[in-house]
Amino acid sequence: MHKYIIRRILQFIPMLFLITVLVFGLAKAAPGDPLTGEMLDPEIDPAVYEIRREALGLNDPIYVQYWNWLSSVSQGDFGKSMQYTGRSVMELIQARVWNTFYLSLFALGVTLAIAIPIGIYSANRKYSLFDYGATTFAFLGLATPNFFAGLLAIYVFALTLGWFPAQGTTTALGLSGFELFIDKLRHLVLPGLTLGLASTAAYMRYMRTEILEVKGSDFIRTAHAKGLSNESVLYKHTLRNALIPIITLLGLEFGTLLSGAIITERVFNYPGLGTLFLNAISNRDYPVIMAINLILAVSILVGNLLADIFYAIVDPRIRYD
Amino acid sequence: MKLSKFWLMLVLALALAFTLVACGGDEDDTTTDDTPDQTDDTPDDDGDEDEGEETTEGPQQGGTIVAGMYSAPGHQFNPLFYSDAYEANILSFTHESLVALDENLDWEPSLAESWEINDDYTEITFTLNEATWQDGEPFTADDVVFTYETIQDEDYVAAGGVRTNYVANLESVEAVDPQTVKFTYTDVNINALYDASFIIVPKHIFGDVPVLEMPDHSASRNAGEVIGTGPYQLTDMLEGEQYVLTSYEGYWQGAPNLDGITWRVIEQSIMPGLLESGQLDMVAEPNGVPAADFEAVDALDHITTYVTQDFGYQYMGFKLHHRTTDDVENGVIDPDNWVENEKVADVRVRQAIVYAINRQAIVDGLLFGMGTVLNANFPEASWAFDESAVNPYDFSPETAEELLDEAGYVDVTGDGFREDPDGNEWVLNLDYPTGNQVRERSAPIIVENLEAVGIKVDLRNPREAGPHFDLVEKDNHDWDMYLAGWSLSAADPDPSALWLSTAPYNYTRWNDATSDELIKAGVQAPDAFDQDYRKQAYSDWAAHMSEQVPQVFLYSADNIYAYNANLKEVKHYPAGIYADSHLWYLEQ
Repeated sequence: MHKYIIRRILQFIPMLFLITVLVFGLAKAAPGDPLTGEMLDPEIDPAVYEIRREALGLNDPIYVQYWNWLSSVSQGDFGKSMQYTGRSVMELIQARVWNTFYLSLFALGVTLAIAIPIGIYSANRKYSLFDYGATTFAFLGLATPNFFAGLLAIYVFALTLGWFPAQGTTTALGLSGFELFIDKLRHLVLPGLTLGLASTAAYMRYMRTEILEVKGSDFIRTAHAKGLSNESVLYKHTLRNALIPIITLLGLEFGTLLSGAIITERVFNYPGLGTLFLNAISNRDYPVIMAINLILAVSILVGNLLADIFYAIVDPRIRYD
Repeated sequence: MKLSKFWLMLVLALALAFTLVACGGDEDDTTTDDTPDQTDDTPDDDGDEDEGEETTEGPQQGGTIVAGMYSAPGHQFNPLFYSDAYEANILSFTHESLVALDENLDWEPSLAESWEINDDYTEITFTLNEATWQDGEPFTADDVVFTYETIQDEDYVAAGGVRTNYVANLESVEAVDPQTVKFTYTDVNINALYDASFIIVPKHIFGDVPVLEMPDHSASRNAGEVIGTGPYQLTDMLEGEQYVLTSYEGYWQGAPNLDGITWRVIEQSIMPGLLESGQLDMVAEPNGVPAADFEAVDALDHITTYVTQDFGYQYMGFKLHHRTTDDVENGVIDPDNWVENEKVADVRVRQAIVYAINRQAIVDGLLFGMGTVLNANFPEASWAFDESAVNPYDFSPETAEELLDEAGYVDVTGDGFREDPDGNEWVLNLDYPTGNQVRERSAPIIVENLEAVGIKVDLRNPREAGPHFDLVEKDNHDWDMYLAGWSLSAADPDPSALWLSTAPYNYTRWNDATSDELIKAGVQAPDAFDQDYRKQAYSDWAAHMSEQVPQVFLYSADNIYAYNANLKEVKHYPAGIYADSHLWYLEQ
């Protein structure tokens, strides 16, 4: 097991290298650089942009630029943003990464809390009114665009009923301790529900299908034959086996935990990595693009590794060596 | 066993959800204390005597307003290095210049009390007001000298600064005494006041910081450390969400009446709802209220709106000439090397195109009437505006067809589209950028209008704004027409930066000797010190340009400001509503 994990981690290195080369190449291949489209203020002398390009190293050949980036990253320095004058990439990311993490975690919690019970219940009462109702509801959630669901939630719960705040991550600056925690949690509710409900359908259907599949297998029939109660069979035998594919899904989800949800973040003005990433791409802010990409790549790789490790733990049939 | 655990969890989760909602009720009561509701509550709390006295004796003290903008500033709050409109928005409350624009777009005293220009117009000497920085240090002539010398510094541009235009003609700036500063220019300078209008930064904070390190300095970026002379200080902020301005009690024109202004970043689509519910008191710079929302916002009883013409405008440029590939690569602007674009060379064709486009319909349909059709680059508020000088080019497809027929562009093949005078196929390319929705949607309308008079247009796929404008500039390609816009300041109507044939920003590559001559006449000393002379010069130039049609002026959108009707003393100036924000007060 240890050997397996170490081997997997060592595999990360060439993969990450390839990913960075690819992303850097693609970002550079897109037309323009951080200063294009800036030449729109006639009060500014155009010569200024040439001097700045030179200062930012944008006139160097691509491989030199990549090498410079790589060598500073290997020393732990992600460089400075080209779009935000005077700000380091780490600072920009630190200001947002926790927002994104909390939001994704909350949304994932919502998804699982709704999808798993409903999935189980639907599987037990296959083709019942409840089953159809739940499926309809879940697919409605899947089919509703996030921006629409978000605006609807703001209109109903924030503007009309006034239960939850509409925008941002806190109400007022200067809160602390438990008050701050509750305030942040309240700000999470609407974006978290919007994001969480949207992915409920997938988990619910997985859960339902898996349970139905496991229910038909021989060991369940054996359990029933032993005279165990229905509930005991469901929770001790069926559920444990049905949860395995959900773990795969969660492993993949782990990577997206940090990628943020661009549209939801925008509608709720919830400053997270998603909007930062989008802005960086449209402004060709290469250092920020590369840093976020690296974070995403690492978290997806780690997520997959964790999923594989958990597999071995929950499913005794799987052994790594 | 397991089942009961599940139900326990469910009950707990529901309980938590209800607690949150319940907390919500309490929280709302406490948090609205910071927001406008407080202003409704305060008179009750303070009793009647207060209210009675203050309404008769003038502005009431206290209260905070919440203002909204649609995007977050980039957190560079050093005026020397800021780069976006959201930062500029915050800086207009925290920092000041020597002079400011008044309601007639003339320069009025701000940090400078008065000024004198020498006889040959090469020196301007300012006497300064006795102001203080927000940390209590006195504002002196040394701060002015320091600000301008930093812009002159050789590292300034490499550090990220772009505003070298303020020192382009500056020879030296010296502090005569602590309250007097003298600017000396290399040549006669008719725009000395504009050149002296840059925002002043404190020397006692940045004086020892190397220019290259200034943008990273904590006083350029951190709330509480950003120091200006303005009526409000940036005291707290939460990245991407809130920017808290607190009134500066020691402000040299008197302490502001408001306790502060909190800028919140909000999503544009819910702005009208926030205004309606009272969670927002003001929407102003840099984007204002979108034209589509004007009606809804204007209908709110507790909101005052103010509409003014933007100084910038949208246009459809003709590529009258293209640069050669060599010139583009070497960054050379030399009209002698340019290659004329035969497809739009005939002035009658260009005039026909203006007549053929229903510009008023674009304003009415896409901007909900909240805009103005333009025929020259001077906004109505400017002294250089002269409606009688230009041809209004009212929508007239008939006139367009006549002009095209006259120019020899007729349909000889019978396909419904005109060929050029030699009978060859004549297709005009139109390129446009994404980003500005109204502009994006105007492109197909323009094509429809032009095809109605028989002009075949190839509407290309839109590009992202950055690459589009890059190609507008690097124009060794096959473009004939393009959509673009200028966002302009009101400072001076001199068109030379955009219209002189040798100007890099002359994106239409218009090469016209008469135009160059008239533009130069407008800033010719000593005549140009007389505004009537300049007015005449710019009228002459506008008339010539209107006849030659180097570009089609489309429209200028309105700036729409909205604020709480209880907020008083807000000045409605053509350049915005921020003048004298220390006088603003909330009526209770």
